[in-house]
Parts: sequence; C-alpha cells; structure tokens
Amino acid sequence: MIRLGTILWGLLVIAAGAAMFQVKYQVVRLESELTDLNHEIARSREATRVLYAEWSLLSDPQRLARLNDNFLHLAPVTAAQLGSIDRLAQIPLRAAGTLSRPLLAAAPAKGSIAP
Amino acid sequence: MKANAARIAQDDPCRPRHYRPVPCAPAPAEGPAQEALEISHTRLLVTAALFVLAFAVIAGRLIEVAGFKAGDNHLARFHPAARAYAARADIVDRNGVLLATTLEVSSLSANPKLIAAADKADAAHRLAAILPELSESEIFGRLASDKSFVWLARQLTPRQKFAVIQLGIPGLAFESEGKRVYPKGDLAAHVVGYSGIDNDGLAGIERSFDDVLKSRDEPVRLSLDVRLQYILRSELARQMAEFSSIGAAGLILDVRTGEVMALSSLPDFDPSNPGAKPDAIFDRATLGIYEMGSVMKIFNTAMALDDKVVTFDSKFDATKPIEIAGFTIHDDHAQKRWLTVPEIFMYSSNIGSAKMAAEAGADRQRDFLGRLGLLQAPAFELPELGTPQVPHPWLPISVMTVGFGHGISVSPLQVAAAAAAVVNGGTLYAPTIVMHPGGAAPQGKTVLSAQTSEQMRRLLRLVVEHGTGKNAEAPGYLVGGKTGTAEKIVHGRYAPHALISSFLGVFPINDPRFLVLVMLDEPHGNAKTGGYATGGMVAAPAVKRIVERMAPIVGIQPVDEDSPEIRRSLMVGLPSPQGRKLAAN
Repeated sequence: MIRLGTILWGLLVIAAGAAMFQVKYQVVRLESELTDLNHEIARSREATRVLYAEWSLLSDPQRLARLNDNFLHLAPVTAAQLGSIDRLAQIPLRAAGTLSRPLLAAAPAKGSIAP
Repeated sequence: MKANAARIAQDDPCRPRHYRPVPCAPAPAEGPAQEALEISHTRLLVTAALFVLAFAVIAGRLIEVAGFKAGDNHLARFHPAARAYAARADIVDRNGVLLATTLEVSSLSANPKLIAAADKADAAHRLAAILPELSESEIFGRLASDKSFVWLARQLTPRQKFAVIQLGIPGLAFESEGKRVYPKGDLAAHVVGYSGIDNDGLAGIERSFDDVLKSRDEPVRLSLDVRLQYILRSELARQMAEFSSIGAAGLILDVRTGEVMALSSLPDFDPSNPGAKPDAIFDRATLGIYEMGSVMKIFNTAMALDDKVVTFDSKFDATKPIEIAGFTIHDDHAQKRWLTVPEIFMYSSNIGSAKMAAEAGADRQRDFLGRLGLLQAPAFELPELGTPQVPHPWLPISVMTVGFGHGISVSPLQVAAAAAAVVNGGTLYAPTIVMHPGGAAPQGKTVLSAQTSEQMRRLLRLVVEHGTGKNAEAPGYLVGGKTGTAEKIVHGRYAPHALISSFLGVFPINDPRFLVLVMLDEPHGNAKTGGYATGGMVAAPAVKRIVERMAPIVGIQPVDEDSPEIRRSLMVGLPSPQGRKLAAN
C-alpha cells in the first residue's frame, strides 16, 4: 500500500514539475511577444503622430488657398448663393430633364480646371 | 495491550518487586503539567489552521489566475514600453486640427573613448559632410576630448540619421528626444506660442499650459477654429498690404460664450524659428494697449443709456468744438447742430460724446468701465497680456476724452470682450481661448440691462446702415458695428498721420452670434479711399469680407434685411434736418 502511494505521489510531482516548466517557458515566450507588441504599438503611435502632423501640414488653409489659386479658382460662397428650403417652394416647377441642360450650358469655362 | 502494559511496568527500574501496575491507560497528569500540554495543543492547532488558510489562499489564487483569464490584462499595462512617447501633449483647435505636436527625433552623441585616436580625424571629416551646421574642426575637437559622452548634433532629420548609420563609425549613439512641430506655421503663432529646444514653453499657450502639456497625453483643445483663423489672418494681411500699415490685429469672438474663435496679430512669426523676427513676437491683440478712439463710444453710450442719464431723444449741442483746459475737442464728421443720442453715435460725434460723458460724471463712468473689465488686465489664458492705462487722477477733462476713447488705453481683446457683453443682452463672459468642455455653459455676470443691450444693437446697426460704417455692410448678414480712428501718441504728442484705425462689427445684429474686431496700426490712405485711413475706410471693408466668408462656415443663414420683422426690430427714430422724423433701420 505504501509503495503504491509513493509511486502515485512521485508521478504527481513529476507531472507538476513538467507542467511548471511548460508554463514557465510559455510565460517567457509571451513576455517577449508582449515586448515586441509594445514596441510595435510605440512605433505605430509614432507613425500615427507623424501622419497627423503631415495631414495638418497638407491641410493648412494657406496651402489650400495657394493650390486653389493655381488650379481651381473657387471663390467663397456669397449670400446670394444661399437659400432656405422655403424659398424652393416659390420657384415654379419644371419638367424633369430640362433643369440640367441649361445649368450645364451656363457653366463658365473659367470655373473649370485651369491649365 | 498486554505487551504494552508489561513494557510500561518494566520501564520503571525502581518499582517495588511486589508491585505490578494495573494494565490500563496512564493516569492523567495533574496540575501544571496538564496545563502546559493543553497550551501546546492549542498552539499547534492554531498554527495548523493558519497554514491551511495560507495554502488555501495560494490555491485559490492559482485557480483564479490559471482558470479565469479575465482581469489579468491590466498587468500588461504595467509594462514600461506600452506607454506612448510624448514629451509634450498636442495643441489642437476646436475641431481637433493639430496646431502643435511632438515628434520623436534622434540626436547624435559620441563616446570618444570608443573611437581609436587614429580614426578620429577621418570620422570628423565624414561626419562634417552629413552635419552642415558643424565644421570638421568642431567635430574633431569634441571627438578628441577625454570625456566618455559628448553631444554632436541635436534633432537630426531622418535622412541625416540614416547617413550617419551608413558611416558605421563605432562609439556613436543616438538618443531619442521630442521635437516640437508646428504644422500650421505662422497661422496662429501668437496663440500657440513656441517652446525652446528642451521642450519648455516660452510663449503663448505653450508657456501658460507648460505644466499641463508636460503632464498628460491628452491634447489641449483651444476654442480657436483654424478656418476662421485663416480668414481673419488673410484679410488682415490684405488690409495691411493695401494700406501699407506697420501692423494689424484682429479677433473673432463668440458673444454668447466669450470663446475666442480666431485671434491674429501681424506681423507674425514661425513658431519653429521665433528668433528670426524678434519684433513680430509682440502680440498687438492682447499685449498691445491702444487708445481705441470712437470704438469706445459703444461703452460711453451704453453707460449713459443704462444709467438713464440720456434717452434716444436727448439732444446735445454739437454746433461748435469744446474748449477745455487748453485742448479743443472737435468732430471729424461735423454736423454743426444739435444732435440726438443716435445721431451722436451714428456720426461718431466727439463733442456730443464728451458732453454725454460729462453729464454722466466720473463716478458713473469709472464704475461702468470697471464693471466691463476695461480698467484692469483681463483674465485670459495667454501670458502676453497688456494692463490698461487709465486716467489718474480722473479729471473732468479725462471724463470727456474717455467718452470718445482717448486718455484710456486698452487691448483689442478687452474691447471685444466688453462689447460682446453690450450686445448679447448684458452678460459679460471672461474671454477664453480654451474650449469650454462640451456643453458646459460658462458663468457670466450681468453688467447692463437687456433693454440697454437691445438699444445698443439698434445703434450699432444704424452706424453700418447710415453712418460711418457703411463699408462693413455685408448684405444679408445684418452687420452692426462701430468705427474707430485714433491718433497715436508719438513723442508725447498726437501724431496726425500715425493712426490706429479699427472697426468692431457684430453679426447678425438682431440676434448676435459673433463679434469681429479689426485694427490696423498706422495705415496710410490710398487713391481708392481718397487718402483717408479712417476705421470706416480701412478696417470696415475687412470686417465685411470676414463676415461674408465666415458666415457659411459657422452656419449663419443670410436674411432679407427688408422684411418687416427685421425692420421693426432694428428701427431707430431719427429727426431729419428739416425737423421731420425719419425711420432709419
């Protein structure tokens, strides 16, 4: 009886030891994975910061205005171009399809993309 | 049992021969012996219980950690590498547009002890080709030192860093550090400010929020709107060039919250190289104090109306200039007759304003200007703040001159904040450049009655429609405002050709949302303005264009000025020169 108990305990000890080694190496592996991921996160964050800074640089209104002057020639919206939905009711209805044609024809060549 | 009893019996060598102990359990010990036994028994039990408890806790924890993974993620956060690198938090505008950020850059250092003496000259030669700001002899000097650490170059560009790595020189090392970057350049230079190479804020928000920026990752959100800032700055620059003035300043204020939506002072500078233009660092909008001239009549008129010193029907004699204490007060747009209060405001009559101020008296004037915060430096987030210069002592002549904006110097920021209170129903909000946290209503204090405010709105509209501010009329947006033209004091005397010309506009005046203030420093009239450089000629057109450009952005719909409701809400009764009553609106 004593023999059997001893063998059982011995086996348990070996199993526990083996399991512990297994867990330990797993932890080491996860640790290094974590460190890698953290470096990756730090790198990505820095890259994001750079991209944000670049976006801010590219969307600088002074730059956009310069580009507009060179290529688009858009002008600020004037009060005459704005209206309310109620005003639409005062404009007489037209048959479908007739609206786009005169608008297209009236589009000034100057407003299109410059050379 | 028998054997046991025999053994015990034989254990005692001194037992009498005839005596044989009765084979039974040993007699219980008595007295102290038994007590000791019981104590040790209890101690043993307690110790065992403690051990059982300890092992149970360990077992429980083991099961928890191994069996239930939830909750152990927070351990990962203690890992040092997981924190973002940010030596200094960002500064963003109200929509989150980046104004200042910190990027990681490398600086080059060297350990001269690790470089062979024979290689040093060659290393210096090759490094000098990459680092143009250092000469070869300078680099050699540093490499030849007997220290174990020398700086070679701070904040390399990525290209330079790559080239240095390519050299493969031993003993060189890179240190990461944060470099402050201002992607919008000079756009909001005076607000954002700038910081030094060691990331210490030296001006603007960078300086006043230095501690905050250093202690957190979350950005500082300003009330500024980059789009409006651009509109303001470009229009200021345009006026400055057109009228060859030495400077300009302006701001856009939300009159309902006191938030500054745009603030600009020209000339300005590039925050990443502030040393290039030292004069441009002076902030005319917050640090500069000026005799603002007629713009101050807003406060004079509001005071007289609020304290019931005058009504719209009160008249003052403006037929001839006032002579007082050796000075002459005269009108620029002289009407040479008796004027009502609205007319005094509309024609910007100095004589009428001076008489109105004199009638109110020094105490009322000082009290009212004090309530509007015009007598001491404002509480504002920028460190560059000018303290007003006020009359001392407050003589009768001071009362008169302050009435039309002379003898008192204040910053444009203060004028804007006080004027916002005059038009918004009478609530003064401390001006702020930092955005109010979402939805939080700012605390204001009531400084004048809603009725006075309503009257002032009518008067301001009158100026734009019929008075000196016609050039500020932006059709559909109901601009109200007041012109201001003041001579600067040069060498102790008023100089007739060194002007401060300004226009303070508010729109839509029937329900004010925004205040736009434009000021030009020493503008010069041109052929287009007939040689005039007054506020109505040089500043008002800029306000008109700013209003027209910003209204669609801030979502203000143009209205029909001739609709009956609007005419009625802004009407002011005016006597015509023939004595007939005119309804101006």
